[in-house]
Amino acid sequence: MFEFFNENQVMLASVAKELVEKEIATHAAEWDEKDHCPTELFKVFGQQGMLGVFVPEQYGGAGLGITERSIILEEVARHSAGFAIALMTHDLATAAILNHGTEEMKKTWLPKLCAAEVIGGLSVTEATGGSDLSNQATTIEKNSAGYLLNGRKVFITNSHIANLNIWTGTSGVNEKGRKVLSAILIPPETPGLSAGRKENKLGLRGSITGEVIAKDVQCGPDSIVGKEGKGSAVALHTIGNYGRSGMAAIALGILRASVEEAVKFGNERIIYGNPLSKIPEMQAIIADNQVEYEAATAMLYNATAIYDNGKDAIPKLAAAKYFATEAAVRASRRTMDLMGGYGVINEYPVGRFLRDALANIPSGGTSQIMRVIVAGSLLR
Amino acid sequence: MDLENCRGIMVYCEIDVCGIIDNSLELIGHANTLKEKMEHYPEVTAVIIGSDVGSLITVAARHGADRVIMMDNPRYRVYRPDLYSDALAAAAEKYRPEILLVGASLSGEEIGPTVAMKLHTGMAAHCVELKIRDDGQFVQVVPAFGGKVLGDILCPGFRPQMASMKAGMVSKRIFEGKVAEIESFDPDVRGFGDRLQVIETIPETRKRVSLSNAELVVTGGFGIGTQEGWDKLEHMAELLHGVSTCTRPALDAGWTDKEETMVGTSGVAIKPKVYLGFGVSGAAHHTCGIKGAGLIISVNRDANAPIFEVSDFKVVSDWEAIVNAITARLEATSAVCPDPDRA
Amino acid sequence: MALTIAVCIKPVPDSEYYNKITIDPVTKRLNRDGIPTVINSMDKNAIEAALRLREKHGGRVLAFSMAPDTAIENLKRVLAMGVDEAYLCSDRVLGGADTWATSYTLYKAIEKTGPVDLVIMGNQTEDGGTAQVPSQLGEWMGVPHLANVIALDYEDGGMVVKTKADRGTIRYSLKLPAVLAVTRDCNEPRIPSVMDILKVGKKPMRILRAQDLDLNPDFIGIKGSPTQAGEIYSPDMSRKSEALVGDPDEIALRILDELRKAGISIG
Repeated sequence: MFEFFNENQVMLASVAKELVEKEIATHAAEWDEKDHCPTELFKVFGQQGMLGVFVPEQYGGAGLGITERSIILEEVARHSAGFAIALMTHDLATAAILNHGTEEMKKTWLPKLCAAEVIGGLSVTEATGGSDLSNQATTIEKNSAGYLLNGRKVFITNSHIANLNIWTGTSGVNEKGRKVLSAILIPPETPGLSAGRKENKLGLRGSITGEVIAKDVQCGPDSIVGKEGKGSAVALHTIGNYGRSGMAAIALGILRASVEEAVKFGNERIIYGNPLSKIPEMQAIIADNQVEYEAATAMLYNATAIYDNGKDAIPKLAAAKYFATEAAVRASRRTMDLMGGYGVINEYPVGRFLRDALANIPSGGTSQIMRVIVAGSLLR
Repeated sequence: MDLENCRGIMVYCEIDVCGIIDNSLELIGHANTLKEKMEHYPEVTAVIIGSDVGSLITVAARHGADRVIMMDNPRYRVYRPDLYSDALAAAAEKYRPEILLVGASLSGEEIGPTVAMKLHTGMAAHCVELKIRDDGQFVQVVPAFGGKVLGDILCPGFRPQMASMKAGMVSKRIFEGKVAEIESFDPDVRGFGDRLQVIETIPETRKRVSLSNAELVVTGGFGIGTQEGWDKLEHMAELLHGVSTCTRPALDAGWTDKEETMVGTSGVAIKPKVYLGFGVSGAAHHTCGIKGAGLIISVNRDANAPIFEVSDFKVVSDWEAIVNAITARLEATSAVCPDPDRA
Repeated sequence: MALTIAVCIKPVPDSEYYNKITIDPVTKRLNRDGIPTVINSMDKNAIEAALRLREKHGGRVLAFSMAPDTAIENLKRVLAMGVDEAYLCSDRVLGGADTWATSYTLYKAIEKTGPVDLVIMGNQTEDGGTAQVPSQLGEWMGVPHLANVIALDYEDGGMVVKTKADRGTIRYSLKLPAVLAVTRDCNEPRIPSVMDILKVGKKPMRILRAQDLDLNPDFIGIKGSPTQAGEIYSPDMSRKSEALVGDPDEIALRILDELRKAGISIG
């Protein structure tokens, strides 16, 4: 547990743990195997106040920050990283509206998002790449009724379950002739929006990832999130703060799972008449996992505290996301090594941890992009 | 009660439709075992509370009661914890036993501590052992932390020394031809009067599984994992003519609703010739209840499962493979032709 | 009628960690270092039952516990579930109490904070598991009490209660005040929401010392306990633990063979 959590945060962690153990722990393996997203659980998390926990009370949230959100996501990911990313993504739509939406959007949608009356999605990535925002083929055209949206997004989490969507798309060119991006809110039941192909992922199964297609989707005149032409800022702020803190928190969950499974197996498995954990090499594995978990914890919760204090945390969150997601791969792999043959048997969860850890890396920007951001913050 | 004037061992006899329950008869028997260790060789007194229960006197005597206190009155026809507690407390006050034993049944758990309060004395609950130390001190051994730890409880300064014990912990004893002294006692007890009323008593319709005479017990634990698995295990138990029982986690998982077959500190203690455990991890809660088994064989995937320590034979394996193999063997030997006309 | 309901809470060592409990070979004392303390599981059912009554009929729910000061953390969790006020009886002179002295202290604490209509408790604790305190508290209070409660409701000024009996169930009606001990069949305890957690700091919580409670010194702690704890030990039940090896069919044959040897007749 991070030393500087306040009392409420400590209790939140234990309450979230209890909820996860009751609702998620025993089903996680099955969701992974069947690639099933338990959408009914969104409402449960909504009732517990665990969606949009950073939303002020006036809009139906708990008025806390991304630290608390990360605490919840870490607990969910301890047992199901797949479902954690579904919740994580729902919150991205919430964050985009909260930080960039109109007052009308906030009043209308934030309470519904916090209660999971609608499920949120954020569609940015296109086939040409996720981080290259300058060249989106999706178009947002102004017309007499408001804005007309056309395009195709790929690798979108909650693609088939989100009914409140925020898209980015090219809405024109600036004075230098460069394409500019806008972000637009698409309410539930809007005609023309459909889900396409559903991906069969290596990991983070139990969350749905796929294509979303917009064909002549007519949005109203008040549907732009943020300023027209400033969609990049909406996407970068939301992903940079909420997306990456979320992915790092999910990685923390996997790291902790890797530590705990290693300890459990190490103590239970008897080899040469003694528990496996008596062997120094095995202790080294457990220690390395714990060290990386502690380091990632300190990095993430330091960065989220900075954001929650109203300061810029983008480079620190990028660093935390980079370290934590990579460390989760190393740690789950080590636990697999510790377990020997058992490590690759799907009855044990460690294989899922490794697959989830690997699938976790590209979301919110690859490790290479994270290093570009960290270096960029020093070299500018 | 002052220490000097208390004599004898009193046992509360709980009654159901079939008569005095085994739990109480076991305690009468055990009271005799205690008595034989006590220098002054005190009387064993059975207290029977009920309506029209005269026929039970001989049962109590045959199981070891030297004296039977009959509290036979229509007001006891329907069980009411307050009336029964008042009655037992009145009997203890009148007959002043040094030891008072109560079965740790659900009603015993209501009556026992209530009587202890009324008498201002101590009570040790769910004892796994009751014994007389060499210095004559009555020692009550209680489990703590689900049986992980045992502790001696003494009650040197108060009388009677009260204890409860789960069914199956000790054995019944038979004293053929024994005749007990009989006393009727009918104090005016009112309990909480009309502040507590029984609206209805709803008897259980399902036939309860009896474990007291089971020679072979097949226990399934949480490791069974699914309802289908559980059914498979029960099928094997039937083929073996054994009785299937469960652990607390298996019961909580809902694979069986036969709560009376839960073995352990919060369930029953069993003494079969053979205990066969599948997917049982061996938490102290459970193993406390099987120590009386003649032979313990257990199957568990986890080589370090605590159940193995208390087993005569251990099998480190998936439970299902073993159950399948046993079932196949049994079905092969007992195969009967489905259509006798063909022969 | 709005109900004032007391619930009694016992912090107990987390049962997941029972295998870490050891006995110090020298001091013969229990070593529970590093084992987290949680709210006794059936006490959560008691809290849930009380909260549901409050939600339906109005009133207040007060939690009482007799435990060391560290139990404040557990009581905060109780407040997060929705309990309105919490009282912790914590004093060295209260330590070592058996059920008799514990029920007396709880009785005095409840009396101190004002009259209650109903006391709801967990039927038994996970650590000691005596199931004695509820009945004994009822006796101290001089009010009707029932254990093994699986359903309860407030109707026409009294409680209608269903209890699990040894061979069926019994329905009772009780006049208030009363003491009820509930089992896990009674309900599914709620998990606090984030908003509930944020309210904890604003709720009254008080530590009651022995001097605050007007206690008879002969009725509390070790001195006031009729029973005395003697030696503690780990039961030794170990057997030979001989491994049966081979393929499943070979093992099955060995098991059937051992059954026959033990006197079980097999078809």
